[in-house]
Amino acid sequence: MTRKFLHCLVIPALALVLAACGSGSGSNAPSCIGTCAAPPASPPPAGLGALSVADVQRVASQAVAEAQARQARATIAVVDRVGNVLLVFRMNGAQNTFRIASGRAAVGGLENIDSLPDSLAAIAKALTGAYLSSDGNAFSTRTASQIIQQNFNPGELLQPSGPLYGVQFSQFSCSDVMRRDADGSIGPKRSPLGLAADPGGIPLYRDGHLAGAIGVIADGQYSLDLDIGDVDSDLDEVIAVAGSSGYAAPADIRADRITVDGRSLRFTDSTTLVSNPEAAPSYASLAGAAIAVPGYAAAGARAGTQFGTPASGLRPDTGSFADLRGQVLVDAGNNNRYAARNGSDGLLGQAAVGQILRAALVVASRARAQIRRPLGSAAQVSIAVVDSQGEILGLLRSPDAPVFGIDVAVQKARTAAFFSSTAAAGQLQTLAPANYVNPPATSSIDAYVTRLRAFIADNTALANGIAYSTRAIGNLSRPLYPDGISPAPAGPLSTPLANWSPFHDGLQLDLSYNAVIAATAGDASIGCTGLNRLMNGMQVFAGAVPIYRNGQLLGAIGVSGDGVDQDDMVAFLGLANAATVINDGTGNANAAIRADTVVAAGTRLRYVQCPQSPFNDSTEQNACVGR
Amino acid sequence: MTARRPPSTARAGRRTLLCTALCLAVSGAPMVRAQTEPPGEAQTIELKRPQGQPLKYPLPPIDPAQVPAPLPEVRRESLPVPDRWRIMEGLGLTEKWWDPYHPNVYKADKPFPPFSNWGHDWFLNVGLISDSLLEARRLPTPVGAQTTERPGEIDVFGQGRQSTINQNLIASVAIIQGDTTFRPPDYEFRLVVAVNGNRSQAEEVRALRIDPRQGTVRRDGHVGVQEAFVDKHLRNVSTRYDFDSLRIGIQPFISDFRGFVFQDNALGVRLFGTRDNNRWQYNLGWFRRIEKDTNSGLNDLGLPLRRDDSLVANLFRQDFPRPGHTTQFSVIYNVNREGSGRYYNRNGFLERPAVFGDGRGHDYRVLYLGLNGDGHFGPWNLSTSLYAALGRDNHSPFAQRPNRIQAAFAAAELSRDFDWLRLRSTVLVASGDKDPFDATATGFDAIQENPQIAGADTSFWIRQAVPLVGGGGVALSGRNGLLPSLRSSKDSGQSNFVNPGLVLLGVGADVDLTPQLRLLGNISKLDFVNTSVLSVLRAQAGISRDIGVDVSAGLQYRPFQTQNIVLNASLAMLLPGKGLRQLYDEDQRGPQYSLLLNLLLTY
Repeated sequence: MTRKFLHCLVIPALALVLAACGSGSGSNAPSCIGTCAAPPASPPPAGLGALSVADVQRVASQAVAEAQARQARATIAVVDRVGNVLLVFRMNGAQNTFRIASGRAAVGGLENIDSLPDSLAAIAKALTGAYLSSDGNAFSTRTASQIIQQNFNPGELLQPSGPLYGVQFSQFSCSDVMRRDADGSIGPKRSPLGLAADPGGIPLYRDGHLAGAIGVIADGQYSLDLDIGDVDSDLDEVIAVAGSSGYAAPADIRADRITVDGRSLRFTDSTTLVSNPEAAPSYASLAGAAIAVPGYAAAGARAGTQFGTPASGLRPDTGSFADLRGQVLVDAGNNNRYAARNGSDGLLGQAAVGQILRAALVVASRARAQIRRPLGSAAQVSIAVVDSQGEILGLLRSPDAPVFGIDVAVQKARTAAFFSSTAAAGQLQTLAPANYVNPPATSSIDAYVTRLRAFIADNTALANGIAYSTRAIGNLSRPLYPDGISPAPAGPLSTPLANWSPFHDGLQLDLSYNAVIAATAGDASIGCTGLNRLMNGMQVFAGAVPIYRNGQLLGAIGVSGDGVDQDDMVAFLGLANAATVINDGTGNANAAIRADTVVAAGTRLRYVQCPQSPFNDSTEQNACVGR
Repeated sequence: MTARRPPSTARAGRRTLLCTALCLAVSGAPMVRAQTEPPGEAQTIELKRPQGQPLKYPLPPIDPAQVPAPLPEVRRESLPVPDRWRIMEGLGLTEKWWDPYHPNVYKADKPFPPFSNWGHDWFLNVGLISDSLLEARRLPTPVGAQTTERPGEIDVFGQGRQSTINQNLIASVAIIQGDTTFRPPDYEFRLVVAVNGNRSQAEEVRALRIDPRQGTVRRDGHVGVQEAFVDKHLRNVSTRYDFDSLRIGIQPFISDFRGFVFQDNALGVRLFGTRDNNRWQYNLGWFRRIEKDTNSGLNDLGLPLRRDDSLVANLFRQDFPRPGHTTQFSVIYNVNREGSGRYYNRNGFLERPAVFGDGRGHDYRVLYLGLNGDGHFGPWNLSTSLYAALGRDNHSPFAQRPNRIQAAFAAAELSRDFDWLRLRSTVLVASGDKDPFDATATGFDAIQENPQIAGADTSFWIRQAVPLVGGGGVALSGRNGLLPSLRSSKDSGQSNFVNPGLVLLGVGADVDLTPQLRLLGNISKLDFVNTSVLSVLRAQAGISRDIGVDVSAGLQYRPFQTQNIVLNASLAMLLPGKGLRQLYDEDQRGPQYSLLLNLLLTY
């Protein structure tokens, strides 16, 4: 009070008038910018935050009305928060297929595939809107586009890549973590194309809670936004925005209120509608049909599941993590799918796994969230522990963590464990090449090992016991090394920049490519890469570190769901804190074998980076050094 | 510094000379020629006594004991001289080219002989300044994002010691036509070129250049044209040499007594003059800013001019409201049209649009209305400044829509001299923005500030650029700047009115220990006005407004009591308050400091 008084007193005393003084002295604005209330409780109370059949049909009607007003023919998918496809509606005359095209001069990978059914694009876009969002953040596929490219922001030269570079290659149909149509309402459900960056996937909110998302494809292009400096008018996006009317994300949690390194994220570009969603025709009168998508959706509309209930496949833990409001994955019998267990390799014990999960969740609960509103919220993440063979030994979540992080946390943990093992190079060298579709070509997996070894001038690389975090593997998987700097050579695990795109990014996609393509043709096999250690695919952004005991690799911990620095800290510091409890030598890699001792092409790899101002409850900085 | 500024405006030059090249070039502007008697109407009119009649008085009686009168047949022992500048020659006083304290043809004390075939009264003024700077500092410094200098750097904050060696050589040449003694010259052609070399060192990669492969040492240099103008004396409007003059070209300009809003060596056209025996002075000007070389701060004519124009009108009234105090009314209209395209500086960092908010470009136009005062009331010296900034930004980086600009600034410095001691107190408020997402930006920002207050560049807060680590490519406060306006840089960034604002309360003293040695000390308490925008940028709730306390001390040594050799040394520390501790690793790193050593040699 006294300071505010002083500020306003001083100037009148000098016979000066300062217009802004009266209104500008408060520390906090009315709309909750500074210290704010605790985040909303999650999961929502019973009956809230789930889409009814009428909701689903209304969303579809509003989208169709906008499409008609624009003389467009759209295919529209609506999903719930855990990825159950509630409706796929194809307007009469909609294109049956779409083309994957980044707009870059890339050839290979998923680029130029133009034979897949449009429903898969709509589903992938809807899943992305639902999976990246939460009650604390509303992200769209346009947001995804912004954070997966070679520079962040896209188009800004010399900046490191997007914080979620590589996240698009997750949630695959071949993942052992993701659920399928046959699992009923149990999520999280798989995506035919991973996550989408093509604008037109928008989350849906009901009663202030994330309820699902709409995904639209009408322009036949499955692409992304290469330059965010402009304002696009994207047909898919405006149709999806129209569909979300009445279910729109609260303004305060949309991506454009959230910053990463000072950069606002993008929710949508132009949202000027030409239809009036409130006057949308009845669902029954729509010119089109709800279609079945084999493996993903039955024909007709159905209601969404309430998030956080056993029916959704996610529920509060009733066991040892209940005090932390931990959330676990369950099967149709309401059994925890990934309760802490002993490693298949006999190295990590159930108790240690439990300690690691607990310690990590405690770190998360103190951590300053990077991507959540209101400010002052705690980070909400998914945490996975795997053993040295990639088997999942435990999976635990914060209650409102975005759903995408479940599969990604496992991918990250497996990637860290696999690349840190001395068997990594040998196993990669046995893999069959990726067989690109359009134009037909092959991409050798073995060649990546060769390139990596040449790049870091070490013929024992990936077999020499260096502890690789996913941040370090990410450094080597970027199309520019050092990350984002141009001109610079490509990282050895990446496609060279000239031929690179988010649909053709190198080893990460190549490992899963054949399985992903097979799944779009109906192959129901589980396992994406041919390696059990990387069963749901490789991940190449930060948030996982390997676990050691006295120099022996035991497995890894992977974290996903908030800012990547937060993910890193929850994994690294959680493991470090658990080590003091387990107290048998289990913990982080010795500093002498960490990847940041490796200098490749004159540039040192990173191991982890813990965030600035890491905790909401203290002014402590540099929380990880020395651990 | 405007030529022929009222004497009181010369206070801006009273600042310590610890200065960047830019400031130095400004301080190298021509000295003010006094507006004094005798009056005259124009060059060609014979001088007359204003009384009209010669005074009469009786001749003293001749004393025969005194020296006899010269005999008519004896040859004169002195020759007639062509002009009065050579009277001293006639007395046998010879000049030395290196000595500016005696009549010197290179310092415009006499017409320059090679110019004699151009006509009468062509002078040459040559100047040379050497400015050497050694600076050591400690700042919050992030480790490289992609790679680090050392293994084991697994947090955001790295090691923060940095140093800079900077050498400027500033050469000026002015060719002047006219009587340089009593009235304004008729023409002036002036060229100032600064040659810079600099070397900086940091402890983390990416602190100095964006490419981490370029390491922790940066060497750079630049040659900048700081002034290049023609000044035409248009007319005299009174017998007291009130005048109108027009100056075209790259010229120094300062908007007010303390450089709060606009001080630059910009390309411009300026009409200026005086009325009523110099009691009124005016400036009417248009300035277009020149892109600055990143590491020297000098003008870079190799790049296109900035699309940033300022229209300036100001009026000075001397002895108002009381004798000894000058009041200035100022209107500046700044139009910035740099919303399209991207500008990266020479270190690779994006400056426009700032890495801040949504990253889209924006244009803005701002009207600054200013009322400034400088002078004394009896024994009390008072310098005041009051500005309102009103305008419109066509795209706010946070609200992502057009934005109104409504901001204000007020500053006052009250001081009193006690013989060899001057005591000062300072109050300064720049308004802050309370909600970055609303449609009104209420944080004050300048066009290009170079503030001379609260210790100026001997203080930490003004001297050093404090990066907002993790909050985008913007600085919390700019180098040689006061406002925490979150710009990419003072020299190259656009103004930003979505900022936390500043409250400064300070006291200081200037102590003349000996005629050669002056001690300066300042203590300032710094607070933000509103930290909302910092919270949004850092995704961090509840950042305190308490920046901390800036404590600084400086020594100025002038061995010959002249400005020709000046040695400055200063040390400043920013003792962190809660706000700074929430933002940076203050507790682990130790306070931020700034240590400067500066030698100025002037010919």
